[in-house]
Amino acid sequence: MQVEFELLMPKTLSEALTMLAPAAERGLADSSTPVMPIAGGTNVIPDLRDGRLRPAVLMDVSALDVLRGIRRENDLPGGLPGGLPGGRHGGGFIIIGGGTTIATLLTDPLIAQHAAALRQAAAVFANPLVRNRATVAGNLADASPAADTAPPLLVLDAEVELTSRSGTRWAPVEAFMVGVRKTVRRPAELITAIRFPVPPANSASAFHKVGLRKADAISVLSVAVLVECDADGLCHKARIALGSVAPTPIRARAAEDRLQGQVLTPALIEAAARLAAEAARPIDDLRGSAVYRQRVVGVVTRRLLTAVVDQARKVSSQFFGESPTPEEQSHATQSHHTQS
Amino acid sequence: MKSERFRVLGTVTRRKDGIGKITGREQYVTDISLPRMLHGRILSSPYAHARIKSIDVSAAEALGAVCITWDDIPKVRYNERIVTVPWALHQDHYVLADKVRRMGEAVAAVAAETEALAEQAVRAIKVEYELLPVITDPVTAMQPGAPAIYDEVLLGDEPVKIERNIACTREIEEGDVDKAFAEADVIIERTYKTPKIYHSQMETKSVVCRPEPDGGITVWPTTQSIHNVRILLGRIFGIPLSKVNVKRVPIGGTFGSSIQMNPPIPIGVALALKARRPVKLTLTREEDMHDHTRYPTQIHLKLAAKRDGTLLGAEMELLADIGAHNIQAYSFLGVTIGWLVSLYRIPNVRYRGTAVYTNKAPSCAMQGFGNPQVTFAVETLMDELAETLGMDPLASKIKNYVGMGDTFWGQGPMVRSVVQSDGVQELLHQGAAWIGWQDRPKSGSQTGRYRRGIGLARGFHTSSAGAPQPGDVIDFSGALVKVNQDGSVDVVTALMDHGGGTLEAVAKLVAEALDMPLEKVDIAPAETMSTVYDVVTHATRGVYAGGGAAVKVAGQIRQEIIDTAARFLNVMPEALTIEYDPEVDQGVVFSRSIPDRRMTIGEIATRCWTNSWKTIAAVDSYRPVNCPPAYVTTFVEVEVDTWTGQVRTLRAALGSDCGTVINPDMAAGQLEGGLSKGMGFALYENNDWDVAGQLLSKGYLVDGKTPAIMEMPKPEDIGVYFAHTCEPSGPFGAKGIGEAATNPVAGAFANAIHNAIGVRFYELPITPEKILAAVRRKTDAVREKGESQAGGEPEKGLVGTGGELQ
Ligand SMILES: Cc1cc2nc3c(=O)[nH]c(=O)nc-3n(C[C@H](O)[C@H](O)[C@H](O)COP(=O)(O)OP(=O)(O)OC[C@H]3O[C@@H](n4cnc5c(N)ncnc54)[C@H](O)[C@@H]3O)c2cc1C
Repeated sequence: MQVEFELLMPKTLSEALTMLAPAAERGLADSSTPVMPIAGGTNVIPDLRDGRLRPAVLMDVSALDVLRGIRRENDLPGGLPGGLPGGRHGGGFIIIGGGTTIATLLTDPLIAQHAAALRQAAAVFANPLVRNRATVAGNLADASPAADTAPPLLVLDAEVELTSRSGTRWAPVEAFMVGVRKTVRRPAELITAIRFPVPPANSASAFHKVGLRKADAISVLSVAVLVECDADGLCHKARIALGSVAPTPIRARAAEDRLQGQVLTPALIEAAARLAAEAARPIDDLRGSAVYRQRVVGVVTRRLLTAVVDQARKVSSQFFGESPTPEEQSHATQSHHTQS
Repeated sequence: MKSERFRVLGTVTRRKDGIGKITGREQYVTDISLPRMLHGRILSSPYAHARIKSIDVSAAEALGAVCITWDDIPKVRYNERIVTVPWALHQDHYVLADKVRRMGEAVAAVAAETEALAEQAVRAIKVEYELLPVITDPVTAMQPGAPAIYDEVLLGDEPVKIERNIACTREIEEGDVDKAFAEADVIIERTYKTPKIYHSQMETKSVVCRPEPDGGITVWPTTQSIHNVRILLGRIFGIPLSKVNVKRVPIGGTFGSSIQMNPPIPIGVALALKARRPVKLTLTREEDMHDHTRYPTQIHLKLAAKRDGTLLGAEMELLADIGAHNIQAYSFLGVTIGWLVSLYRIPNVRYRGTAVYTNKAPSCAMQGFGNPQVTFAVETLMDELAETLGMDPLASKIKNYVGMGDTFWGQGPMVRSVVQSDGVQELLHQGAAWIGWQDRPKSGSQTGRYRRGIGLARGFHTSSAGAPQPGDVIDFSGALVKVNQDGSVDVVTALMDHGGGTLEAVAKLVAEALDMPLEKVDIAPAETMSTVYDVVTHATRGVYAGGGAAVKVAGQIRQEIIDTAARFLNVMPEALTIEYDPEVDQGVVFSRSIPDRRMTIGEIATRCWTNSWKTIAAVDSYRPVNCPPAYVTTFVEVEVDTWTGQVRTLRAALGSDCGTVINPDMAAGQLEGGLSKGMGFALYENNDWDVAGQLLSKGYLVDGKTPAIMEMPKPEDIGVYFAHTCEPSGPFGAKGIGEAATNPVAGAFANAIHNAIGVRFYELPITPEKILAAVRRKTDAVREKGESQAGGEPEKGLVGTGGELQ
């Protein structure tokens, strides 16, 4: 179906926020049509053609340069989440403008260095044409269970910056998505940025998606993991997030808890993978059955954990100059083998 | 294969339409824009089965749109594919629906000044539907008391009742089947299922129509046959064919989706006639995906063999789900049995085919016309039979294949001919050596997470539907060739080129035949008014039949050049020869015994002109009396991930016996494309419909799952090779290639997966889910038996993570 809509093209952020402001604030009747942001349009346009979406007014935010770009900041003037006062946070934060394209994630050095999982998600996202248009904010705002940036952002403890005329608030990604295509974003808010604390050097993250073909496939399921551990394999922090196995991308908390504070052995990883699979509440749909999703989510989690634990330990031992024990070495070769 | 005999054929040459295509200058139907042109849109049904109670177009007309509904269209029932002779043709279609039988069926249409206005207008139309029960499953459709999708249709001009939604059936029996099965040492039978997949051709269907002042129409359609579109439009709208001019427009791929005159064409014409202005109508991708698919089939196949592997007999029962319209079900049921008996020598055969209507997109030919479906069943069952007998599948194929001297059914029981060129064994041996067939693992012997396997399947397709007697399939072609005043040559043919290079091949054949350089032979733009009939570019017949026609006419031109030169040179024609002379870069007519009597073809043509004499030209029709098999063999190597069920295609050896290879690069492209399409059929694609008759993918390519370049093996891991054969009945020894290229691919994949993990699959696509479930069933069975598995770690992983999760 082809559709008609009115298109607003704000040139500045404040102009955009004004256009989004509630009708009453703009002196319009309450019944006036709500304004919907459109960035890359890679969700909005198919949804319009499908008849699933019927907005009469779209507001194109893709010209707003302030929404684009990735930077690192050590001091956060806006204060920390949960009303904590601003200040230094370890290695600082990576801040991704909401209008940053997936293609940019793929080439940005900060992402490559600090957020391997996010980079890997960008690498298997759609196809080059879509990646050039699709934005991170659009991906999160669309809140599909299969949104590929969500699991990496979940394991990175990322937050979403929501800005309206009346101010700015931050919501953790986990709290941002509340149901299939439902978020806590208010109609007057734009996603202006996404930020996450720079993970410490002795951590590693990874992402893997199972699609029905290699490119241009929506995730049948996806997994992101992040592990911070020392050279002995003692885990300081573990994050596991799953996509396409529940109404929203989710964290597998029980699995994370199983790992945190423990020495990461293959058996423990196995147990965590099982817990992760148990956390999945998948459904049958045209891309895959619930049974398949639940089964494979465990396999992928285990694979990813094995790989990142290995990586994190290697970095740790480089940093702290400890040589791995023979047992560790054999573990490393083994996991390398299963990754082949 | 390239032979020293040829100058132009077999060499890699730059494609004539290549620059236009890659620089975006080629004009497809959607690029056409005419003065005063309106834009059309179709109102298609959101329901899969419904009676149309009323249509109110007043709001659309108030917007300034021209609207057509049932009341505006000719009440002519037709079949959009007229390759079958009229008296054997089922006709159930009107320009707009009399009743809705599938989601997306055209109920009304509008034309307006802009596309946007047309869209607005189409949505302003109010339709009252009375919903009817929807049937999507062919077996349910045949139950007594199932809701009737049709009461009656026409067969030829006669109404026939449709009972239990069965569109038609076909039964064929040859030899003594019961005796064959009674005498067999082994009998093996399986039921196979193949999916309803979308063609995924690049260009969606489109048409531009201009009504002419004399009451005629000019039409620019997306089609594989300009003449069949013309005949149908003439009949439906009651216009003499002399006033219906259908133009050839470059087409962005078809895979068979436009053999039939597709639905937007007559709708566009009806709109243009009512508006009295040109109208353009283009389907969106979503609409296109609701419009046509491959025939999904259920095939029960039973083979009887002797202990030494000799086949004695076969029984095949085939159920085809034809969707909402009968496009060519009767011939589909005929060709499918032909594919079986032409793969292997089966002296005794019994067949029953049933075609059933359902409330889904109509099924139509798609690369292979039933051959990929049947060959999947036959080639996997032959593999299983060989395994049962402890034979090498390769040896059992060599023992039984239909080859040199055997009778071959090109397109069903009425199209038979005798095989005169056969490269099968050469292809099998060369492919086996390339891929390392003898070193493949023993099926089911591997453990560990990743398991590799090699599979083999062979196949063929008929080059044209030519046969000694007329039969029920129309197949003939024609060409007009003329020599211009400078000696360059125009070839006028109604053939279509779907992108595979058919017209390029025709130019090369004529250049070879006339001893002219390819640079000086070109294909003229074509329209029905100024071309002679060609049935349609399908059935792997473009080069064989269409090229055959051009070569036949070029032969007549060659003779006329000699006869003309004989007068100019004052030499007896019998003493003259034509040869290509590189120095003047064209053909030269000369007499060996009087060397100074020579003229170039250019000089002859110029002299014909300045003497006010004539144009050297000829036109003729050509009926192929054979339909030689274009043989192929496919070897693939896969890697199965037993933890996720995913399959990676590692290597492929693709062999083709297409007789003389005309364009080596493009022939290789056909084989590689055939691999990709076949891989989609084997592993990925399945357009599912829900019980309400809605397409689950909604027409989005992202869920169409057509494999892309990333699924292909690396170029260096694809081996392409050709048999050294020459087909005596073909133009310069050529046969076809296009459909053949894909026919065995799914069978090769199924056999490779079996080789890797020891499990057979009878239903396509073989998805990661099905593989994982099968691997687990196998592991569970092994565990129950208490057998210990070698190579514990990965297997344990599989059971550990997978098995205990539920
Ligand atoms: C062919 C194809 C393949 C795809 N493959 C993938 C894939 O592999 N993985 C995947 O995750 N997704 C995939 N998608 C979905 C889509 O590309 C992504 O979700 C993409 O990130 C959406 O971004 P966008 O900028 O195009 O969003 P848009 O379509 O412009 O908007 C999407 C939603 O976000 C809202 N929005 C956009 N920007 C803002 C903002 N700054 N503030 C507040 N709200 C905003 C819009 O109002 C809308 O609700 C695919 C889509 C297509 C068409």
